[in-house]
Amino acid sequence: MILPIGPIHPGLKEPLRLKLQTQGEKVIKAEIDYGYVHRGIEKIMEGKTWQKCIYLAERICGICSYEHTQTFAETIELISGAQAPSRAQHLRVITNELDRIQSHLLANSTFYKTMDHETLFMQVLDLREYAMDAIELLTGNRVNMGWNVVGGVRMDAEQKHLDAILGKIAHIENNLDNHVALFEEGPILALRTKGVGVMTREEAIKGHAVGPIGRASGLKHDYRQDHHTYKDYFDFNPIWRKEGDNFARTMNRYDEIRQSIDLIKDAINNIPQGNIRVPVEVKSGYGEWRGEAPRGEVTYMIETNGNLIKRISIRTPSIMNIDSCARYMLKDVATVADAVTTYASADPCIACAERVAITDINTGKSVTKDFFEVNNSNLSNFEVE
Amino acid sequence: MASFIHYLYDFATKRWLDGFFNAKSKEDIAEKPDRFRDFPTVEKENCIACGSCTASCPSPNAIKLIRDSDSEDAHGLVYPEINKAACIRCGFCSEVCPSEPKTLFCGENHFIHEDFNIIPSKRKYIVDDYLCIKCHKCQDNCEVGAINLVDNRMVVNQSKCISCGKCLDVCPVKGAMKGVYIANLEEQKEIIDLTVKTLEEYIESRYDDFKEIHDDKLFLAELKFNPLYEKSLEIINDEELVSDVLDKAINRLNIRLVIWDYDKCTNCQLCVGECPTGAIKVDDTSSVIRDPNKCLRCSICYQTCPFDVVSYYSAKFNIDIKDGEKVIHITVKESQLAKRRA
Amino acid sequence: MIIYYNHKLKSRDKVIKMLKTLKDIVRKSSIHVCIVNCGGCNGCDVELVACLSPRYDLEQYGIYVHNNPREADVILVTGAVTEQWRENLRRIYAKAPEPKVVVAVGNCPQSGDVFAQEGGRVLAPVSDFIPVDAAIPGCPPRPSEILEAVLAVAPGAIAAKGRAQDKCE
Repeated sequence: MILPIGPIHPGLKEPLRLKLQTQGEKVIKAEIDYGYVHRGIEKIMEGKTWQKCIYLAERICGICSYEHTQTFAETIELISGAQAPSRAQHLRVITNELDRIQSHLLANSTFYKTMDHETLFMQVLDLREYAMDAIELLTGNRVNMGWNVVGGVRMDAEQKHLDAILGKIAHIENNLDNHVALFEEGPILALRTKGVGVMTREEAIKGHAVGPIGRASGLKHDYRQDHHTYKDYFDFNPIWRKEGDNFARTMNRYDEIRQSIDLIKDAINNIPQGNIRVPVEVKSGYGEWRGEAPRGEVTYMIETNGNLIKRISIRTPSIMNIDSCARYMLKDVATVADAVTTYASADPCIACAERVAITDINTGKSVTKDFFEVNNSNLSNFEVE
Repeated sequence: MASFIHYLYDFATKRWLDGFFNAKSKEDIAEKPDRFRDFPTVEKENCIACGSCTASCPSPNAIKLIRDSDSEDAHGLVYPEINKAACIRCGFCSEVCPSEPKTLFCGENHFIHEDFNIIPSKRKYIVDDYLCIKCHKCQDNCEVGAINLVDNRMVVNQSKCISCGKCLDVCPVKGAMKGVYIANLEEQKEIIDLTVKTLEEYIESRYDDFKEIHDDKLFLAELKFNPLYEKSLEIINDEELVSDVLDKAINRLNIRLVIWDYDKCTNCQLCVGECPTGAIKVDDTSSVIRDPNKCLRCSICYQTCPFDVVSYYSAKFNIDIKDGEKVIHITVKESQLAKRRA
Repeated sequence: MIIYYNHKLKSRDKVIKMLKTLKDIVRKSSIHVCIVNCGGCNGCDVELVACLSPRYDLEQYGIYVHNNPREADVILVTGAVTEQWRENLRRIYAKAPEPKVVVAVGNCPQSGDVFAQEGGRVLAPVSDFIPVDAAIPGCPPRPSEILEAVLAVAPGAIAAKGRAQDKCE
């Protein structure tokens, strides 16, 4: 029997339809319908200056909004042959890691919520508020920060701000271990998480899984190790696990939070003095740049014409993660309740994933397709927007 | 048992009962940090009505410039109004606001530096030194003091300029102050190419009408503007840019026409060697052929030919409005250059 | 049953009045909420989730985020309406039982925010599709702002709508 879940469902915060083919309680196959939040951001960006587009890039996704602006700004900097000053690069690292902490804590708390473990859900969500406070303190807003610009960042951080951030980070660090221990050593939690929703390394490669989801399945890849700021100023090694189940994914996120805390401390202690912004004259050209968002690798491909953007293409990590979740993780899950938890453990972000809408020319209706079909199909009958 | 009693006792404490019956969030949750960017506040009196906040705002419905009704002794104030339902609290309007002191305030304003006062604009304003008469009208009318006399030349300071276009309106010399579209250069070139080609083809098609006009007499013609305008819009869909480029191109254009009358040609081949670009060639049947794509319109063949094969005209254009429709006035005149007579 | 037990008309009126007051109190103090994201950036949704955290604690006011339109009293709409939600939004609104209140959270449902430009595929505002009772501006609003607005509007509006509905019956 086919069991539809969503688009509005207690377990899912974002609109998406899961179609589970079940036999009794057992899930045999899963299918995903997208297309509920496609807004056409790339089309809006065409013919506008970066000053306007950077706020649009921020609104691609509300949870990892920061990394989108940084990658956008760095792509334009690459085209113009400029680079942000080292103080701005350090401030960018601090914000990026704070954003990662709050995103991972939110992902884990949502995972507990779908597992109906209210205590951990509340405690982890409370911990996240400290990361949000630090972000608001530094950038002026909680979610859509408006903090990055081409050539640097908008506001300088004074020593009192940095000290306050260190205080918030210390609180997270002191309390995190309790929650991790509660999750790691709980026998009932282990029954719901260990060995559930397994994705092997081969499947992760086939499904193009990225970010913590790919890393939990043994793909040792983190774009931060190739990024110039991390290469020049920090000692960075990707964190990975090989089990590939719900437990590994959640634990991998916790480990990354610890690593992010270390990186923030490192950045604040060694922050150089100097400018936070350089003027950049945008040139015509084409540039391609990547960044590591909390959910994986974001790619921006931009072509500029003078100081206007001619064409832009964005590849977000969620689309690969959600698809590999539907193909490999949800296959042969024991119960429907576990299917929802497995879906939540893949940390889906639908607003990110809706990058392309395919319209059938003959009928004029929009056709929703998954990543694999788009990649492998002949698109001559369809109009891609 | 003891623990059970203790458990019950916990419910009986005043603290628990207070918390149960008067559940309230702590007040600090509503506290906003110093650097929090709230909705912008507007100081009406400082506004200079330049419109840079509306030009820079990334959200299309967030800022509107409104004007109070006039009172008996003064004009109504013009000032921006923030629509909270569309404002995204980015603070960009406050960053670009050029008035002194600022009209718009948003969050902590210490991040606003002079060097980064970049307003997203498609136009760049520059002064043409050859045409400028240094009347200082633009300097007097500039609201932000971006135009100044430097080394006896009027210069626009680009980091201060807010692209309001007031200097263009007050400049008494046509063309001395220029608002140049800095982006889409390739498309602008294409539009100019298209204009020249269309006009040249049209004049050549009417060659029979002005064949007999000599000396100082003028041939007048008219061409509709709209077909050209629509064709240009296909190249780039920006009405403001297209009409500006077409206006400037057509009003300044001076096309020189070289028209060959092959019936008169005696194939003397005098012109072949004279042509600087090799546009004139002798083909297989030893007759002379001109390639219009290579031709420079330099008039050397006109001056060389003894048999009146080549005729040389100059055409000028002007955009005018006739019956509510834009038309291009064309004036064609025969060249007065010296010519070898047979 | 209590109503028929009292034979005297005066006391019956009294009981009905008391029952209605009780109904009001219950309606005000137990509100089920459904979040409908009809094409936003997810920012407002995470701020709504943050409202559940112990610091803001939405549930102490008797508000429970259930995410099920069939038992919702308050529908929180976020996001500019995209193509796919054109019909579905009306269907979800029809599924919620009376009395119901719609609150638009953030700028997208009110004006379309940055997406209401040439090239965008949004059909904002939401009020073209379903009646909206209250709106919270901000992109996204802070959790404290959401809390303030929902508490100021939702209980009173639900009670008023409930009374109006009772009168009709």
